[in-house]
Amino acid sequence: MNGENTRSNTLTRKDFLRYMALIAGGSITVGQYVACQNKTDRYAHITGKINGASAAIGHRIREGSFPVPEVTTYTDTLIVGSGIAGLAAARKLQQQGIDFKVLELEPTPGGNAGFGKNAYAAYPLGAHYLPLPNLQHTALLELLEEAGMLTGYDAAGLPIYRETDLCFDPEERLFIHDRWQEGLVPQFGVQAAALSEIQRFLAEMERLRQVKGADQLFAFDIPVANSSADPVYTALDQISMRTWLEQKGYHSEELHWYLDYCCRDDYGADAAAISAWAGIHYFAGRKGKAANAESSQVLTWPEGNGRLMQHLLQFSKESLLPNSLVYQVTPAGDKVQVDYLDVHQGITKRIVADHCILAVPQFVGRRLLPARPPAANFVYSPWLVANITLDNIPAGSGYPLCWDNVVYKGRSLGYVNAQQQNISQISPDKQVITWYLPLDHLDPVNSRKYALGLDHAHWVKLIADDLAIAHRHIHALIRRIDVQVWGHGMIRPHPGFLTSQERHAVQQSGHSNIFFAHSDLSGISIFEEAFYHGNKAAENVIARRRS
Amino acid sequence: MEALLFFSVFVIATCGLIYELVAGTLASYLLGDSVTQFSTIIGAYLFAMGIGAWLSRFFKKELLSWFIQLEILVGLIGGISSAALFLLFEHALSFRLILYMLVGLTGILVGLELPLLMNILKNRYEFRDLVSRVFTFDYIGALLASIVFPLLLVPYLGLIRTSCFFGILNVLVAMIVLVKFRSEIKWAAYLKIKAVAVILFLSGIFFWANEIMTFSEGMAFRDPVIFTHSSPYQRIVLTRSKSDLRLYLNGNLQFSSADEYRYHEALVHPVMMYGGSRRKILILGGGDGMAARELLKYPEIEHITLVDLDPSMTRLFKENTLLTKLNSNSLLSPKLTIVNADAFQWLKENKETFNIAIIDFPDPGNYAVGKLYTTAFYRQLRHSLNDSSVIVVQSTSPYVAPKAFWCVNTTLLTCGYKTIPYHTYVPSFGEWGYVMASPAALYQQHDQLPEGLRYFAAGVFPQMRLFTADMDKRAVRPNQLNNQVLVQYFEDEWGKYQE
Ligand SMILES: Cc1cc2nc3c(=O)[nH]c(=O)nc-3n(C[C@H](O)[C@H](O)[C@H](O)COP(=O)(O)OP(=O)(O)OC[C@H]3O[C@@H](n4cnc5c(N)ncnc54)[C@H](O)[C@@H]3O)c2cc1C
Repeated sequence: MNGENTRSNTLTRKDFLRYMALIAGGSITVGQYVACQNKTDRYAHITGKINGASAAIGHRIREGSFPVPEVTTYTDTLIVGSGIAGLAAARKLQQQGIDFKVLELEPTPGGNAGFGKNAYAAYPLGAHYLPLPNLQHTALLELLEEAGMLTGYDAAGLPIYRETDLCFDPEERLFIHDRWQEGLVPQFGVQAAALSEIQRFLAEMERLRQVKGADQLFAFDIPVANSSADPVYTALDQISMRTWLEQKGYHSEELHWYLDYCCRDDYGADAAAISAWAGIHYFAGRKGKAANAESSQVLTWPEGNGRLMQHLLQFSKESLLPNSLVYQVTPAGDKVQVDYLDVHQGITKRIVADHCILAVPQFVGRRLLPARPPAANFVYSPWLVANITLDNIPAGSGYPLCWDNVVYKGRSLGYVNAQQQNISQISPDKQVITWYLPLDHLDPVNSRKYALGLDHAHWVKLIADDLAIAHRHIHALIRRIDVQVWGHGMIRPHPGFLTSQERHAVQQSGHSNIFFAHSDLSGISIFEEAFYHGNKAAENVIARRRS
Repeated sequence: MEALLFFSVFVIATCGLIYELVAGTLASYLLGDSVTQFSTIIGAYLFAMGIGAWLSRFFKKELLSWFIQLEILVGLIGGISSAALFLLFEHALSFRLILYMLVGLTGILVGLELPLLMNILKNRYEFRDLVSRVFTFDYIGALLASIVFPLLLVPYLGLIRTSCFFGILNVLVAMIVLVKFRSEIKWAAYLKIKAVAVILFLSGIFFWANEIMTFSEGMAFRDPVIFTHSSPYQRIVLTRSKSDLRLYLNGNLQFSSADEYRYHEALVHPVMMYGGSRRKILILGGGDGMAARELLKYPEIEHITLVDLDPSMTRLFKENTLLTKLNSNSLLSPKLTIVNADAFQWLKENKETFNIAIIDFPDPGNYAVGKLYTTAFYRQLRHSLNDSSVIVVQSTSPYVAPKAFWCVNTTLLTCGYKTIPYHTYVPSFGEWGYVMASPAALYQQHDQLPEGLRYFAAGVFPQMRLFTADMDKRAVRPNQLNNQVLVQYFEDEWGKYQE
């Protein structure tokens, strides 16, 4: 119930309060000044550590020289890698009753869709949302239905999603001109000319969303493989997104920032480094619809895509062997020998299988197979994800705290408040937010080196100072920062890559019983692509067993 | 001369008792449970006075100067005591410790006063005479204090001003003695400055008492604040005027004791008339026990489960005598089980079903509370209901916020409930709305109402269901977790109204 709060405000009272506020303000400032003088280090109290894909172990593949395995076991299909692609393949095989094993280098499954946990919350370590799937993507809709996230269809055939899996409102805000505005498209304090340019751009994207090529396929679709091959559209892959914008007469600073943001968000590099086809695909590829949500909404969970990953994991719980570094895959007649290092026992083992699915990125996969040419065009954007534990999340001025909170022209992509997806009124003692930084300030190789070389204290300073742009006094609220470095986070669709001969050639392993499955084969690193490639590889195995 | 000294005794005695009464009252206001507070405060105070009396033996020289010093000090400490306690209540880690320390300190100082005075006077009067007069005036002062305190001081001055006023009286005694015995006193000038400074200081507090109260509150309340508590979930404030006790949660009025019966009778009795079986009842929110009080008027109710987030709310309404009088001790009923949990989370885990559910959450003024008004919530609730269960949802004001009100209705309809929206007039809130709902068709199943209702009657209900044009149905969207339109409607409409 709300009633009148209270009145009887006389002028003197207001003045008094103002006066008191001034004194209080004054003493706080003085207090802080003194505190700053005493404690020049605003970061020292922040704990945490650096985690990362086990780069050191992984690098042993490059060095080679493993002893010949002693133990040999057999299985029908061996899956290397338990990312979304590997787990999707496993689900398919399990549903067909096919015997399989999954080897995973890390102690926990999920790859980029993994998640972490502390006393206060579960949180994503990488991927954190899934846009509403396109209605044609039936395999994905079925998966969501199976997981209970899609509860049925309305009379018009639109999917109804379980409300608790949709991103709770308020969804997004942008810190621009020292204030939080609603939504990520710059608006607050933006000139009318720029605003109308943004409108024109969004209308153009809406048009391209529906456009089809001469082959009657959507020009931009998910999975990428279903998109039209019409050269009118594929030609867009030859130029960068920034060039395309300029060619089309889009010049406003705000729109250019927004596209840099979008490209960095999905591909880990700005619009100058990403092909126009991929940049447009970010908008036009997504045609999802729902009975109970706007098309632009997403599915998300406190632990991010870790939720979807856990659903997939049910199908391979018993067959998953973590801490297993696969270092060599050798075709042997109609069998495949897969050699791996049991990281815990420190010994090498061999599994002989009828089929093998390599659900690992190309930069790994090509080293596993004999005489595989280097995949030079496969460029990966390094990423940093930090989970930050704080006493509380400051609100800031303007629009209230959202699920996604981005700073205009910020170095990072801002932070996600994944805990907003909890239904409870009771918030834990401490809050956890997830902060994203695509490492694109140098070229990928050097950014990767830089990231792997930085110690925790440096990350803390970098991250806390970045957050302080929008929340000036945040340093004192931060308790802990856990840093996750993804050296090869996302495949980068740089101009020319998607249409390159190499990307198409690489889809085939050159062996009739070995299949690749990884989102990088699409050139676009999203859940849907990983899921698509996992399914496709499993279907190939199933088809081959039948023949 | 003589009269003056005995007048001082009289003043001192009055002041001494007033400080004690102020501390006792404050403690029961702020900590609840007046019997315990009063008796422990009185005990501690008297004991401290004993310590003071014992300490008086160590004062051997310059008794007059010491006495003046003492009066100034008593005036200062006693005078600021209630302002200090109000201000510290929120911030102190252990408020009790501070309270008893202050009571102890005042007690010691007050305990010193009379022995010291008697020592001063002992050479000027005959002992027998002295004892008799000092104690006579002491007890008269006490009588006066105990009469004016509840009848005049608390109602007209308030606690902060009362203690300031008596603090000033204490210091005035010091001033008078200072002037009269100028020649016999060391450091007279210094003491005079000190006394004037304390008087000025206390006058300042006296003058700004309301502001201090408000400042300690962080916000302005209409009536004097008698209790505040910040739990992890909300800020609870009780205010009281002569006839009216008001509860605010996070600054929003929850009820006024003057007319809450209208709100709670309209919340509970219609749903009871429409419910078929009425054995098992669920209350979500409603930690004040008022809805439970109405429910307990039906003997056929076997069990009430009350789920309220905040243990400090339910504890307050279980223990504080002012409040248990209001809710007729409903929270102590053996038929009632209190669960302190988050309602949404609790519903998710709950396996029981209920015949009737009464949903009395705060208004959807923010995104967190807004979750409790979503289709997701009402769908979750459905699992704790039978096909014929009936629920009622408090739904803000259909006059001030028609879109918000009708949004609750639409949200329930979207989830497949049949609804009866209705409203009533609650003077302290204005026009207030409710939505009754059920998975099955709604019709009146009982016409027998409990005795002694002050507002609701079967014949009133048809009127409550009529909506005039200014409150009538609006086209609105259902409230979902992923759109939270209700919070937006609510903010727009209440925002405009309050401008
Ligand atoms: C920071 C970040 C944020 C992202 N956010 C999103 C998002 O919000 N939404 C979205 O849809 N996508 C997002 N993505 C993209 C994400 O990569 C994909 O959605 C998807 O999780 C990729 O799955 P995958 O199976 O293709 O690859 P991976 O996740 O890379 O899986 C490969 C697996 O193989 C294992 N492996 C590698 N080498 C070996 C070896 N030699 N032996 C054994 N195992 C090995 C790895 O440990 C890993 O588990 C994000 C990516 C990053 C890096």
